[in-house]
Formats: sequence, structure tokens, C-alpha cells
Amino acid sequence: MNGFTAFFKKELLEAIRNYRVLILFSVTAIFGMMSPLTAKMMPDILANVGVEGMVLKIPEPTFIDAFTQFFKNFSQMGTVVLLLVFGGLLSQDLAKGTLIIPLSKGLSRHAVILAKYASALTLWTLSYALATLINYGYTLYFFQTISVSHLFFSLFCLWLFGAFLLAFLLLASVVTRGAFGGLLVTAAGLGILLICQAIFRMDPFNPLKLVSENVALLTGKAAFDQLLNTAWSTCALILSTLILAMMLFKKKSI
Amino acid sequence: MIQDYLPFLIPIIALELILALTALIHIFRHRSFRFANRFIWIAIVLFVQIIGPIIYFAIGRGEDS
Repeated sequence: MNGFTAFFKKELLEAIRNYRVLILFSVTAIFGMMSPLTAKMMPDILANVGVEGMVLKIPEPTFIDAFTQFFKNFSQMGTVVLLLVFGGLLSQDLAKGTLIIPLSKGLSRHAVILAKYASALTLWTLSYALATLINYGYTLYFFQTISVSHLFFSLFCLWLFGAFLLAFLLLASVVTRGAFGGLLVTAAGLGILLICQAIFRMDPFNPLKLVSENVALLTGKAAFDQLLNTAWSTCALILSTLILAMMLFKKKSI
Repeated sequence: MIQDYLPFLIPIIALELILALTALIHIFRHRSFRFANRFIWIAIVLFVQIIGPIIYFAIGRGEDS
């Protein structure tokens, strides 16, 4: 067993004992169940809060509404949850000094970064797959038909954004000090991306596009090719972020 | 109307309760917190849905001894 697999196993075990697994899986399961339900219940909810003398005309909800809710939940609350759950992924180890002993025993520094990223990505992938399956099943039950093109790619974009977020979080944790440094820098980075998207219209390479165009892609209002380019550039961004994190971590004094 | 959706609401409520209960048990079994005190955390966990327990586990939890 080499350093990577040993550290990877330790990371997964730590995630279970830290309640990370519990939180991530229950929250994503809640999102998966809630989204189609909210879409289905929306007309009834609005009918109950209706104001006297006002007639609300609401179109019958479709499966598109269920996926709209799903993408909205995941791109807003989901991002926050992901950041909170994995915020201390590397920062906390650095702040407590728990990495000193394994590193002095010969564990390579690259293995630390890669194993941490791999374990976080595994958890994110599994929980997201769970949410997607639940959401798909519920939507199928409530609305009978799901006929849409690019559904898988649209879901994949959201997953890719999560992967990008985790890579960025690792890099931010390497650069900063303190238990919450990485979390704060990542939040600031997201803010900058938002500003880039809203004000400077730097669309083609902005990873945020991956989570803002999902529904438009489903309804055919967004171009598939453009989003594919963004996906590729995000992949490149993830790779370069990881390499940069490994290079910087090698030089960092712990 | 609510009866129609009850079978679908119960699992969601159950999951939220599990989250809150896990956090509550953790709060009662530990003395030290990184921020604030026990009563504030109990209030946050009980009254802030979903995010409350997450915030507690992410930033409020003290060191395990």
C-alpha cells in the first residue's frame, strides 16, 4: 500500500467520523426529494396564500420545473453546503499540525493534496449521484414523462462546478493560514467570479456559467457547443489549480 | 391537500430531524465550543433548518477530547 491509498483511506474514515458523510448525504437527499415536490406543490401553495380578489393563473407544472428547482437548490444552497462541509479539508490539518508526523515519516506532499482531492471528489460524486437518482425517480413519479435532450450534460455541468469548487478550495487552503482561511478566500473568489459574470460579461470561460445555464440548456435556449467549451476550460482550470496547489504545497513550511 | 403529499414529506422531515438530533447529541456530549455557548448552538440547531446543524458541525464544534 503506497502513501496515496493509505492517506485516501484515512481521509474517508475521517469524513465519516467528522459527520461529513452524514451531512452531505442527508442534505443532498433532502434536495433530491424536495425539488420535484416543491415544483408539484407550487400551484397548491400559491392557491392557499391567494389574496382576495386576485386571480392567479399558474401553468400546470412540468418536469422542467422540477429540474429548475433542483438546479436552483444545488447551485445556491448546495454550493454553500459543499463549502461548509469541506471548508476545513486542508486548513484544519495545517492549523492543528496533524500533517507533520505523516510527512516526516516519508509521505509525499503531492500524495496529500491528491488524496484529499480524491476523497472529497468521491464524496461529492456519490452524494450528487444519490440526489440525481432520487430527483429523477420522484420527477418520473410526479410528472410521468421526462423527455429532454442534454439532460445528462446539464447535470454533469453542475457536478463539474462542484469539482472545480473543491480544487479551488484546496488551492486557497494551501495559500492561506488559519482554520478558515481557505473557506474565506474561496468565498471571495466566488464573489469575484459573480462580478465578472454580471458586470464584465466574461462569459465564455467563466465556470459559473456551468451552474447558471442548466435550465436554459434543457429548454433549448442555450447553445450546447458554448457550454461544452466552458466545460473543457473548467476541466483545464481544475487540472492547473491542482498542479499549482501541489507546487505551492511543496514549498510551504508546515 | 396536505394529505396527498404526506408520504413524500415524511422522509424529508425525518432526514432534517436526524441532522438536528445528531447535532444536539454532539452538543450535549461536549463542553467546549469554538464560538458561543451551548444554549446559542441549541437554538441555532433547532431553529435554523438544514443549515443550522451544518454550521454547527462545520465551525461551531470544539475539539474532540
